[in-house]
Amino acid sequence: MVLAQLGGSISRALQQMSNATIIDEKVLNECLNEITRALLQADVQFKLVRDMQTNIKKIVNLDDLAAGHNKRKIIQQAIFNELCKMLDPGKPSFIPKKGKTSVVMFVGLQGSGKTTTCTKYAYYHQKKGWKPALVCADTFRAGAFDQLKQNATKAKIPFYGSYMESDPVKIAVEGVERFKKENCDLIIVDTSGRHKQEVALFEEMRQVSEATKPDLVLFVMDSSIGQAAFDQAQAFKQSVAVGAVIVTKMDGHAKGGGALSAVAATKSPVIFIGTGEHMDEFEVFDVKPFVSRLLGMGDWSGFMDKIHEVVPMDQQPELLQKLSEGNFTLRIMYEQFQNILKMGPIGQVFSMLPGFSAELMPKGREKESQAKIKRYMTMMDSMTNEELDSSNPKLMNESRIMRIARGSGRHLREVMEMLEEYKRLAKIWSKMKGLKIPKKGDMSALSRNMNAQHMSKVLPPQMLKQIGGMGGLQSLMKQMGSTKDMMGMFGGGDK
Amino acid sequence: MFQSIAGKANLEKADLEPSLKALEDRQMTKNAEEIAEKLCESVAESLEGKKLASFTSISSTVQAAIEEALVLILTPRRSIDILRDVHAAKEQRKPYVVVFVGVNGVGKSTNLAKVAYWFLQHEVNVVVAACDTFRSGAVEQLRTHARRLQVSIPIFEKGYEKDPAIVAKEAIQEATRNGSDVVLADTAGRMQDNEPLMRALSKLIYLNNPDLVLFVGEALVGNDAVDQLSKFNQKLAELSTSPNPRLVDGILLTKFDTIDDKVGAALSMVYISGAPVIFVGCGQSFTDLKKLSVKSIVKTLLK
Ligand SMILES: Nc1nc2c(ncn2[C@@H]2O[C@H](COP(=O)(O)OP(=O)(O)OP(=O)(O)O)[C@@H](O)[C@H]2O)c(=O)[nH]1
Ligand SMILES: Nc1nc2c(ncn2[C@@H]2O[C@H](COP(=O)(O)OP(=O)(O)OP(=O)(O)O)[C@@H](O)[C@H]2O)c(=O)[nH]1
Ligand SMILES: [Mg+2]
Ligand SMILES: [Mg+2]
Repeated sequence: MVLAQLGGSISRALQQMSNATIIDEKVLNECLNEITRALLQADVQFKLVRDMQTNIKKIVNLDDLAAGHNKRKIIQQAIFNELCKMLDPGKPSFIPKKGKTSVVMFVGLQGSGKTTTCTKYAYYHQKKGWKPALVCADTFRAGAFDQLKQNATKAKIPFYGSYMESDPVKIAVEGVERFKKENCDLIIVDTSGRHKQEVALFEEMRQVSEATKPDLVLFVMDSSIGQAAFDQAQAFKQSVAVGAVIVTKMDGHAKGGGALSAVAATKSPVIFIGTGEHMDEFEVFDVKPFVSRLLGMGDWSGFMDKIHEVVPMDQQPELLQKLSEGNFTLRIMYEQFQNILKMGPIGQVFSMLPGFSAELMPKGREKESQAKIKRYMTMMDSMTNEELDSSNPKLMNESRIMRIARGSGRHLREVMEMLEEYKRLAKIWSKMKGLKIPKKGDMSALSRNMNAQHMSKVLPPQMLKQIGGMGGLQSLMKQMGSTKDMMGMFGGGDK
Repeated sequence: MFQSIAGKANLEKADLEPSLKALEDRQMTKNAEEIAEKLCESVAESLEGKKLASFTSISSTVQAAIEEALVLILTPRRSIDILRDVHAAKEQRKPYVVVFVGVNGVGKSTNLAKVAYWFLQHEVNVVVAACDTFRSGAVEQLRTHARRLQVSIPIFEKGYEKDPAIVAKEAIQEATRNGSDVVLADTAGRMQDNEPLMRALSKLIYLNNPDLVLFVGEALVGNDAVDQLSKFNQKLAELSTSPNPRLVDGILLTKFDTIDDKVGAALSMVYISGAPVIFVGCGQSFTDLKKLSVKSIVKTLLK
């Protein structure tokens, strides 16, 4: 999913606004227009985008904002909230309970991925100890039953269907009844693809729904859908009680803006996304990380949690601010080192990043690098405030270096090595100049707007090679959502 | 929405802007974002400084210019006469080979069946090669279609998990032996960014050198339309082992019945690739296959 582009345009718009000295109506309008354009390019419905623009203008009342308020932050927050609101209808969908029979019916446009997603949904729950079953109520599409049958067989999930019967209502009822008797707790009904222009097809869907009384109707939507999304989704909602949305093919290039429209149209939340053709390429959907991603703010899962655990929140904004200005001081390096040490075995942190396992972080070397970090910190303990807060490498003349070596009881050579390390890191950070800093306390700042290009500049070349070059890096980052925070880690980790 | 400005002799950019913006907005709601802007820019350029015929409004001048530009875009630079090419191949005792390619679920297999039916109507006999050896039910889907057509259409298949390039190769060999006119090769859907799958496709194309690489795209698609098609072209070029790689020759646009007036995808695809829209799929039955009507698309876009 290439949300980065959209995120990029939106943050560029925000950036431009922050470059303006005075934020007035004109600047805000320009920014909103840029964002509107970006959202439209992501296939968000035209009208929704317009409404959002109006809402933001209502919220961000420039005249009311006292001087000193960070208008950009307020605007960014308003945009974030508006997008979240678009995706979050405010009420959660029906959640099936394990052990208690639920019927879930899948509906959607032709080829959106219903049949594939049915199995994924069943498989997902089966792994969690449910007893799912699949019913093929698609008697129209050629090969539909074979498709479901082959999928179900692969996943070892019981299924029901018929090659002879042509009435989907009849099959649906029989299947649901049968699996109720067999005590299945999640009975999933797959239906044919259909579109609003064909009334008979919608009537058929209504009948299947009426006959099987599903606890939840899931609307499956392809992430690449364009401006037709809203009208189609709304029509489905008007015929059956759509309760939640699943967006498929998020592994593609589309930005998934159509998903936003579908949510708005069905007033139902997105609960899962499909990220590939295979059974396990299926993820629970959360609004906030998605919007973060949409805005190019990164998506932080386990890795970030780990960092949150150990890095004192209040220290972060200031640090990040300094970093974004490109002022990498020795004190910052010191604080970074502290964080790394607190985070425990570095290897463990790294292992949370797919691809960054054993080869990149040889097991035996964690201790070694930790010891080195500690040594560096001891040396820095012998530095003056002036030295720690300067970003001018020339300040560190020979006599200062001698003093530090004496004070910390280390060799001159080691101090110089430490300073080399500092220079190396400073160079890396200088490339990150201009990074945008998120709201207070948000650790993800380091990586905001950091894309593969950015990353490749900062990674040691041999490491880049190991990952498989630029292409490998891109796919890796894609896999990870967009956790680019390893940056900070490389900074001090592997040295 | 438009107002006429009487008495102005020369059009200036400022005069054009409101009309152009309104047109651009309307196209945006119809999935034509990508090119709406460019289009309006070029129209603005062509009109700037032009004299207004007396009593014509700016809006109608702009409208006419846009219409002209749209027709130009949608009228393909190269055209393909399939039936003529089929007969030419026949004379060389070779089957005419069509490979259906595209992202997942756009309607490749279904429209392959419609094209088969269309050929049968034109007294051309076809063989279907089941080269989607990945997706569950793909082979059975084709078989079911063949059965429903009620004319015997041979399906060449090797089941699942076989190399699709080889399946196609063998199908073509058999078709040549049997003197079949056309081979229609179905392929698995794939995302345009999926490198291994795109590589496999380029291998299939390289190995079999089909007469027509038909890109199947759905009209439902939004801005991804352009990316899909241009990446298919780009990947087919990059990943091919041939010095003269084959690209997409033509477009089959599906699900035209599902989009009301949001016809922009067609425009975008043709605009960026220059490949002609050979067929338009507009329903789920065999007869729902049409030729593209440039006029009606342009009309819809400007509505
Ligand atoms: N890349 C990718 N492909 C997917 C995903 N979900 C489904 N597909 C593919 O999309 C195509 C269509 O999926 P189906 O499950 O047959 O769609 P459907 O909605 O059941 O189709 P109809 O029953 O004909 O309406 C297949 O090739 C699937 O493998 C996904 O998340 N990613
Ligand atoms: N309304 C409508 N539906 C269509 C059209 N063409 C195909 N479909 C439907 O779209 C769905 C997917 O069609 P397929 O032919 O299986 O698509 P595909 O591209 O072969 O899919 P994969 O092989 O899984 O990638 C089916 O339900 C078709 O009936 C069309 O022109 N209009
Ligand atoms: Mg299906
Ligand atoms: Mg297919």
